[in-house]
Amino acid sequence: MAPVVGKLARGDLNRVFVRLLFVQATLHRRGMQSMGVLHALDAGAELISDDPSGLLARHTEHFNTNPNMVPVVVGGVLRIEEEGGREGPASVSRFKQASASALAAAGDVFFAGGLKPLALTLASVFAIYKFFPGLVAVFVLYNAALITVRYRGLSFGYARGWGLVEAFSSPRVQRALVLVRTGAALAGGLLAGMIATEAYHRGWTTLVLSAVVAVVAWFGARRGVPASRLALALFPVAWLVATVVH
Amino acid sequence: MHDLVVIAIIAGLLALDDRAGWQSLAGEPVFSSLIVGLALGHAGVALRCGVVLQLVWLSIGAARGSRRPNAVVGGVVGAAAACLSMHRTGDPREPLVVAGAVLCGLLAGEGAQWLNTRAGTARERWLEKFELPKDPGVASRNLTVYVIGSALYVALVDALVAVVAVAASVAVVELIIDRAGDGAAGVVAWLTVLPAIAVATVAHAFALRTLRRVAALGCLIAVVMAWLL
Repeated sequence: MAPVVGKLARGDLNRVFVRLLFVQATLHRRGMQSMGVLHALDAGAELISDDPSGLLARHTEHFNTNPNMVPVVVGGVLRIEEEGGREGPASVSRFKQASASALAAAGDVFFAGGLKPLALTLASVFAIYKFFPGLVAVFVLYNAALITVRYRGLSFGYARGWGLVEAFSSPRVQRALVLVRTGAALAGGLLAGMIATEAYHRGWTTLVLSAVVAVVAWFGARRGVPASRLALALFPVAWLVATVVH
Repeated sequence: MHDLVVIAIIAGLLALDDRAGWQSLAGEPVFSSLIVGLALGHAGVALRCGVVLQLVWLSIGAARGSRRPNAVVGGVVGAAAACLSMHRTGDPREPLVVAGAVLCGLLAGEGAQWLNTRAGTARERWLEKFELPKDPGVASRNLTVYVIGSALYVALVDALVAVVAVAASVAVVELIIDRAGDGAAGVVAWLTVLPAIAVATVAHAFALRTLRRVAALGCLIAVVMAWLL
């Protein structure tokens, strides 16, 4: 790992990182992640500023981004504050809002739209076949990716400061987003194929019923009907139909 | 240790992981059910329940702004209800027990989400009262107290909801087993077709032309593999 250049040593960044693990704990409507960010900044404030309470006071405003991307922003904020916030408090605030918006979009696509569904889909496939090593491997690999993004993200943000906004709009990041979305789509397709095959093996009735449920759920999803409500609604229907048919 | 205490501890820790910080996937039903199953001694049954819940709640896409049922409580309650019902009734009709547990898991997930929204109001009010003290030492201490307090509140609420829901769910599953009668086949059929909801989720999430093609390719690979093997 590259050495840290600045007032904060690796150990100090580690302390910030540990606090960032609880960034969602104080999530609330008015400030969203603001308190979590404050708590993380507090770990390094005394080391980078002569006026730590002034530094913290500048960051009480509303803040919201993808939780996995918060370390990148906090790293950047620490760097800008360390350099004296060259263009004043408004500059740091602008940086936070600009990077939070950009990283929220990228983080949501990468994690919620790609990596997490990919991991959960593969985990479901392994669980269906009761392949426990696969299940453990998915868990370990997902968390390795998570720790890498968060830990390196903090160091990256601290190294780049303002430069990280440009870095995250680079083609490499876009390629990574496309790659992980494609992987998730492939895994999703595999899962769909497996479910269809399983239904076929159980007989034509199950296959037809599964197809009907899938179509209804698809229409429901398009109209914003939660899948779990549909599943709950189907329970009495199934019970009643079976009783009547019997 | 009493089963309900074990369930409360698991639910609390998973809530901490999922809602307060790390978000390691341990709180997702497919993993939480395995943890509950291993703790209660029926890993296979719990996992079967967890997979179905996971496939129903296979959310793909931006989580921001969307309200998902409480998957932590739902997963834990479903798996625990399956394990405890198998343990208590010893019913040989495992799919029927799992179906009842899945129903309870789904209901618990929805109910816990509703309760969390209400219980969260008190936590939000408390957090909104926070004012940054001038003294850096006091500020640091207060921030830590608020973070730990808020995290513990989330864990405690989920643990309590899970324990109450498990106690109720075991009774519901036993009721379903007793009263299923001719409807048992329908309940089992319901469990069998629920994974199809995941197919719809995948089709809906990857609706872009290129992604749809990739998903179709994945589907084809799975079908060919199944045919070859």
